[in-house]
Order: sequence, then C-alpha cells, then structure tokens
Amino acid sequence: MDPENVNIPVISRPERKRFIPAITGAFILYYLIMMLIAPVKTLNSINSEYGFTPDEKSVVSDSIATDSTYLALFRERAFIQARVDMAASDSLCLSLNLPDSSVNIDIAGVTVSRTEISKMTVSRMLKDRQSYAITSMLSKPLTIENAFSSIPREPLMIKMAPKDTSEYKPDIIPDTADYEPVNFILELEEGIVIYVYQDERLNAFDGIRCFFFDLGYRFVRTWRALKSVITLKVPEYNPYIKLRLPREDAKILYRALPEKGQIALLR
Amino acid sequence: MENEILNDEDLSQVRAKDRIIKPALITASVISVLIFFLYLSPFFQELTVSGSSATTNSATLKKDAAYRRQINLLKRDIQLLSSRYGRYTSGQAYLVINTTDNLFYLYRNRKLVRQGHCSTGSFKLLKTQEGRSWIFKTPKGKFTILGKTTNPSWKKPDWAFIEEGLPVPPPDHHTRFEYGVLGEYALSLGDGYLIHGTIYKRFLGMPVTHGCVRLNDEDLEAIFHTLNIGSKVYIF
Repeated sequence: MDPENVNIPVISRPERKRFIPAITGAFILYYLIMMLIAPVKTLNSINSEYGFTPDEKSVVSDSIATDSTYLALFRERAFIQARVDMAASDSLCLSLNLPDSSVNIDIAGVTVSRTEISKMTVSRMLKDRQSYAITSMLSKPLTIENAFSSIPREPLMIKMAPKDTSEYKPDIIPDTADYEPVNFILELEEGIVIYVYQDERLNAFDGIRCFFFDLGYRFVRTWRALKSVITLKVPEYNPYIKLRLPREDAKILYRALPEKGQIALLR
Repeated sequence: MENEILNDEDLSQVRAKDRIIKPALITASVISVLIFFLYLSPFFQELTVSGSSATTNSATLKKDAAYRRQINLLKRDIQLLSSRYGRYTSGQAYLVINTTDNLFYLYRNRKLVRQGHCSTGSFKLLKTQEGRSWIFKTPKGKFTILGKTTNPSWKKPDWAFIEEGLPVPPPDHHTRFEYGVLGEYALSLGDGYLIHGTIYKRFLGMPVTHGCVRLNDEDLEAIFHTLNIGSKVYIF
C-alpha cells in the first residue's frame, strides 16, 4: 500500500477554530467542578479524622458536640493545649489569637513579643467557630511546611577574608529588609495557609510589589491545582488566614520563626 | 474597474482591522483564562464552603447530669492547663533579646524593669581561600546563664585574626588576649556566646557582633546584678 494514499483525517481551519475553544471550555468546566469539590472533600476528611466520638464511659448525648457552651470551652481548651504542647520544646513558636486580634511569639511557654493585628480576613471554614472537628484539629500545634517571603529569613552577607591587613576594610552593610516590603506566606499542616502582609504603604511601589508577591503565590497554587486536576485528582483546598501587621512586627515574626516552626491557633 | 479598486481598499481595511482585532482577542482570552484560574476559581471555591455549623443548644441537654459533668471536666482541664502554662513564665528575673531590632527587655517578678538597645550578630559569613568559614549570628531560643565574670578578658579566636588579615598565632599566644574590650562584666550563655559590654557604643542598636550580645555599661551592670547563674535568657 502506498503510504501517500493513506487517508489521514485533516481538521480544516474553521473546524479547528471551533475545536480549540470547545476543548478549552470543557477543561475549564472540569477544572471548576474539581475545585468546587475540593472544600467538600477537605471538610469530610477533617470530620472523619477529628469529628466527635462519644466517650464509652460517658452517657452524654452526641448533641453535646453542637452545644455552643461546650464548644466555647472546647475551643479554649484546644488553644491552651496546643500552647502547652509547644512550650515543651525550647524552640520559638507563634500563638495566633483571632478573637483577640493578636499574635504572640512564645519561647518555651514565655511570651516574648506581642503584636496587634491591624486587619484580617479568615476563610469561611476557619470562621466556623461551632465546628467540633476543626476545633479538635487545632488542639495540637500546626507545623510550618513551606514558607514564601519577600525578605530573606537570615540577611546573610558573604565576606572573603582579606589576605593581609592592607586589604582589611571594616564593613557595615545595611539590612535590605529596611527598604523591602515585608510580606510572607506560611503553609501549615492540614493545608492551612497564613498570609502576612505589611500594613503600611511606605511608597507607591509597595502596593505593586505586594500585588506581584501575591500573584506569584497564586501561580504556585494554580500550578499545583492544575497538576492534580490533570491527573484526575481533586486539588487541595487551603483554608486561609490573611493578616495585615505593622511592618516591623511582621519582620520580627518572620525572622523569629524557625523553618519548621509551630503555630497554635484560636478562632 | 472603479468597483474593483474600492473592493481592494475595503479588503485591505478589513485585513488591517483583522491584524489588530485578532491579537487583541487572543490577548483578552489569555487574560480572561488567567483571571479565571488565578482569581475566580479560588473565589468560587470559597463560596461553596459552609460558613457555620448548626448548634442545638437543647435545654434538655443542659439539664442532663452527664452534660454538666462534661462541662465541669472541660473547665477543670482549662484551669489545669492554664496554670501549667503559667508556670513556664518564671517569677525570677529573665532577659529577652530581640535580634531583629537589637533591643533587650529585662523582667523581674513578671514585670518589665528595664529595656534598651543592644547589638547582636551581624549575619556575616566569613570565608577564607582555604575553605574555612564562620557565620556571625546570635543563636535563637531559650538559654541559661552559665557563668558570670567581672573584668573579663577576651581570648581572640582564629576568626578575629583572619577577619583583619592578620596571621593566626598559636593557641595561647599573648596576642590572643585583649583586656577591657568586653566591658566590666560578662555573662556566659555557653558555646562561647557572652552578654558583655563594648567600646563600640555607637553601634548599639545595630547587628554588628560576632554572635555575642553587646550592651552599654549601665544596662550591662543592671543586668549583671539582676540575673543569677541559672537565670533564663530568651532570644528571638
């Protein structure tokens, strides 16, 4: 058989014009459906792992897990429990108290710094203060898994040793964070993400830099979601807390926290 | 013939429009798709999350003895955990050092009694041609005062010579010992890290040290007399 005579279906140009938008549209719809399923899946897995399990010895009704008095006390206990657990280590930790609008740096149970939150936005899942499962999930400290930041954690300067005294020059290089805007994002265990942005706009470019910093992280998250969706997996849903803090305090927080630091959270 | 010329003009106008409209449409589509992926899909995702779980607050439940027992149990837990947590903050004197802003805070009986400027590690990484290196940073975390000295002398380590381009002398050579540069007092935190005085007072409040914490004479004296061996120092 002459290979030149084989009938290969050729998509004509007008057909291709219709075909590409159709495929793109279908993928966008599929992506959106997967994205909408993600929070439901996350909530179901939190409920199955941390949901209320009645104590065999106790004869109390299951409805206690939906009682607001019980839940308020349970939230308080979860927060203190997480702080006590963190205090056992000598490392630096954060206590994030949303009702109080404060962030503390704790070292071995001693609060060494306290910052007032200027503004905050909390995702609906974390806003739900009546959820037993989410409170139960927060009764242990959350470990930082990844961090993205506009400033280096350690403003390291490299200096080559001089060969002799004639080459020696005393040097004081200013810390770059004195000029750069301070924004950082902490990805925690259980998929929770904490965004910290500096509150002040010191110059016109701070807002633009903040936008691009946020955009960069959106690309990272979208890329992860696309990879999941393409491999037919439901993407991860990340409940978030967005905080605006005074610039100096944001810098202290980021620099104080170790790479795998822990955070206790009260909603 | 005239008609044909007009048609050609029309055609070139259409082509010109096509050259502008087509890329504009493609750009608009790409931007729309990006906005969808980056902003709209997370926004819609958030809308699907239920914001509040239902509460029952049943009056019958509140009268139940088992319920009251559970509530009391929780209250007792909170009290126990709070007092346990409170015990971590010592009633004894302790020192807090903020390395980002180069500030110190001295506490006694859980009250701030003194604060001021200090100098901490410069975050300088000193490298030699031979491959030796040192990072000059103040360690963070919880430390204990392990020793207290008056009129301390400084035994200069190798890096102090290398940094200035000087030849490194033998370990106990007299050029390694400097007197009066650490102030009148020094408190040891272990691993060679000290809280001491300085002759470079103009640098207080700046990150310029090799890892030690420098203070001015008055603050150093107050801290030396307030902290004891075993007192805690928290550095962040």
